[in-house]
Amino acid sequence: MKIPEVIPEKYVVGTDTPRMDGYAKVTGKQEYSSDISYPDMMWAVVIRSPFPHAEIVSIDTSEAEAFGAVVLTSKDTNPYLYNERSVSVPNATFRDRRLLPTDKVRHYGEPVMALAHDTEALAHKAARLVKIVYRELPYVLDAEEAMKDGAPQLFDKIYLGDEEVLVHNNKGVIRNIDEGNVDKGFAEADHIYEAHYVLDRIYHNQLETKSAVCKPEPDGSMTVWCTTQSIHGTRSLIAKLLDLPFSKVNIKKVTLGGGFGSSIQMNTVIPICAALAKKSGRPVKLLSSREEDFYSHHKYPTTFDIKLGVTSDMMITAAEVKALVDFGSHQIQPLAYIGCTAGWFASLYKYGSNIRFNGTAVYTNKVPCCAMQGYGNPQINFAIESMIDDICNEHGWDPIEFRLKNYRTVGDEFWGQGPTIRSIIKTSGVKESLIEGGELFNWKERKPHTEKTGRYRKGIGVARGFHTSGTGGPKEGEVIDYSSAYIKINEDGSVDVVSPVMDHGGGTWDALAKICADVLQVPLNKVGMSPTDTRTTGFDICTHATRGVYCGGAAVEHVALKVREKLLEVAGRIMNEDPKRLSIYRDDELGQGVVYLIGFPDKRMTIEQIAFHAKNYSWGTIAYADSYRQKNCPPCFVTHFVEVEVDTLTGDINMTKALMYGDCGTAINPKLLEGQLIGSFNRGLGYTLYEHIDYDNKTGQLKNRAMMVDYKTPTFCEMPYVKDCMVRVCDVYEPTGPFGAKGIGEAALASVAASIGNAIYNAVGIRFTSIPITPEKMLKALKEKEENA
Amino acid sequence: MMKLHNITLTVNGRRYDLAVEPNELLLNVIRDRLHLTGTKYGCGIAECGACSIIANGKLMLACMILAVTASGWDITTSEGLAKDGNLNPVQQAFIDKGAIQCGFCTPGMVVAGTTLLMENNSPTEDEIREYMRGNYCRCTGYTSIVEAIESAAIHMNETK
Repeated sequence: MKIPEVIPEKYVVGTDTPRMDGYAKVTGKQEYSSDISYPDMMWAVVIRSPFPHAEIVSIDTSEAEAFGAVVLTSKDTNPYLYNERSVSVPNATFRDRRLLPTDKVRHYGEPVMALAHDTEALAHKAARLVKIVYRELPYVLDAEEAMKDGAPQLFDKIYLGDEEVLVHNNKGVIRNIDEGNVDKGFAEADHIYEAHYVLDRIYHNQLETKSAVCKPEPDGSMTVWCTTQSIHGTRSLIAKLLDLPFSKVNIKKVTLGGGFGSSIQMNTVIPICAALAKKSGRPVKLLSSREEDFYSHHKYPTTFDIKLGVTSDMMITAAEVKALVDFGSHQIQPLAYIGCTAGWFASLYKYGSNIRFNGTAVYTNKVPCCAMQGYGNPQINFAIESMIDDICNEHGWDPIEFRLKNYRTVGDEFWGQGPTIRSIIKTSGVKESLIEGGELFNWKERKPHTEKTGRYRKGIGVARGFHTSGTGGPKEGEVIDYSSAYIKINEDGSVDVVSPVMDHGGGTWDALAKICADVLQVPLNKVGMSPTDTRTTGFDICTHATRGVYCGGAAVEHVALKVREKLLEVAGRIMNEDPKRLSIYRDDELGQGVVYLIGFPDKRMTIEQIAFHAKNYSWGTIAYADSYRQKNCPPCFVTHFVEVEVDTLTGDINMTKALMYGDCGTAINPKLLEGQLIGSFNRGLGYTLYEHIDYDNKTGQLKNRAMMVDYKTPTFCEMPYVKDCMVRVCDVYEPTGPFGAKGIGEAALASVAASIGNAIYNAVGIRFTSIPITPEKMLKALKEKEENA
Repeated sequence: MMKLHNITLTVNGRRYDLAVEPNELLLNVIRDRLHLTGTKYGCGIAECGACSIIANGKLMLACMILAVTASGWDITTSEGLAKDGNLNPVQQAFIDKGAIQCGFCTPGMVVAGTTLLMENNSPTEDEIREYMRGNYCRCTGYTSIVEAIESAAIHMNETK
């Protein structure tokens, strides 16, 4: 057999491989924070506010202490005001929260104090011995009410970076953006459309409740296993609050049982657990119950007033958005949330470059809101994509054609993380997904709702969306973005990847391993993802903003390329050849990467032989460590075509078919990508039809009593059948991404709600401008429609 | 301290003699005393299925059972499904079909999938959906899990 002079490299990127943690996960052996135990470990319990707003008059812990508990009140903790979300630069971060409140509590279920005892049962018994006197204060649960003069005030002053900021009428954040000439744009329009949209507050319902295990070490340091999407973000805050140098706080990278954004910020139980461990000198475990978790983090609700100007030839000439956000009792960065929402709005269509966005975020006595898959994107997408459907229906325009005329595409500007992070779009699969998707879904045969009769009415709808891939840009903005990696070739030719990047289950770690395997041309089973922590890794900001593969993967690619360079340099010394004339290929028979001389492929050495020589000659380890910043934030796109069936007798909406058409650039893990799209569709379905967090105005408590049984999310039965869940991936290669990859995670949810809303309109001719679209709402709307007919 | 009760459990083929308090949950005994942490806490009220176990051949939820009432039971947890390091067909199919994401629901899912196929060796898609609906997953959207169980059933029937 003639060996070619240049042997093509083989890639595992783009192929399906069994996920690395699969065996551990199906055998119950994957370790999560809540699974960590140590001898002599104490169990902690948090005592939480029984009022939505109250002054803490006194706390008497003497009986609990006499019972043997270690107690933690605000007197024991650092009074530093912090913001638990640390992905933004300090001068774009509002700080209003303490480890434990010193003066008052601002929502039902807010931590007041904590204690620990030898067992969970003893800790709960001790908690009952604590006496706390509160003075109840008037509270406010509605954003509009909260802005009125005389409404109960949650804060007088807070901090922006180091600057003191006074809070008026509970307005936490105001952010206004004006670009182009909006008034002129509206004057040029032939038709003006205005509508009000309400996107409800929901709960993440990630299966693992927030938890931490903290262990004080003999050298004065603290080791922490906790639910987090960012080990380095958590370390910086724990270090600050415990007054320890970063080198004395070690956050372990542990598997996370679902995040969806709820652990971008440091969860409140983590510093409480660490402070208890520091005080007691013993390991402490603190697990949130599901009820406590319900009172810990929600998705941002937002109401929008949207105005679009459209010409008779289907062009949008101007757009205006007013957004009002009820973010609850503490700021987990509604500043960034509003900025991002403005960015998703601005980046969806061209609007003749005339856009105005006025955003206000308001304190109320509710659970603080945080990111949840999309960070404003599913919210604003529902409003805009619903309105476009209305516009097209009114004029008899094809919604696909309308979108193709107006969408932002290659060469246009994209706001990846609000107004300060912008880059130019280089790739887009939007056209492919709309046109090919339309054909797959028989879009052209769609009948108007007026032709539908009978009890069960089917409709189909389309909507499109996107999300950013990371928060990098040519210029640094409000949001920090870089990652790191350390890669070494072991003395047997296998490879260790040491990465700070978190994986929430989407397959990020598999992607990183594949990227490294392909750069070095070693078999995937020779690449190990090291168990790591903050001590052993360089900085990574967080797995958020759909940046795991695009940014974390790029850091791995960058470092692996350096290792490849070193490997060839070492091989050149052994083979007595110019490293520039050497290349590598993966030899599956040998189960090895092989370095060879280009043009003379018989002259070759396996990576194992090279690493072995480097060791025996005492040349050192072939390794490299570095940080890397992506200088773009390319949008990953998605288009949803869905079919629904409305039961006009019961108001039930049945999902009968869905096509999820994604553009993630290169699909590194195709099967896992499918999982991302279908999983996101499922969560979007819950958001659109079932889920909402409802407060009882009389008590300030959740109406579901924080019970999962009264918070319905989709089960197996609400999904379309397997054959009716179709996934397609665009043929796109993103030049700035590792092996052509962008992200997909958050994009996959962005347009689910709007597509379902549009399909419902197509079925029954009713436009819902608020979600969830419950059977009760549907029946009411059907009745009204009948009465008005 | 409440009066302790002596109980005997057989878990994954191993016998445990334990003294438990009358209010101790079987879930906590399995997790904290036997250190079999594959059985997860998700809701504590029988809503999510993360604590699914096989008790005397039946699917049960460990968060709803007092340990004292389980004395004498023969229990299999997710850790006990694989024999001699070989995954059972449901576990293997979960890996093959990509039916795993964060993995927190996965032990309960494979336990429930296993008992489903013990009771019905060729379930239809509707039967899978109906049987499994008590097991909650926030990540996958369930479709891949249905495919995994279907494929495990085919595999089991072929190799019988």
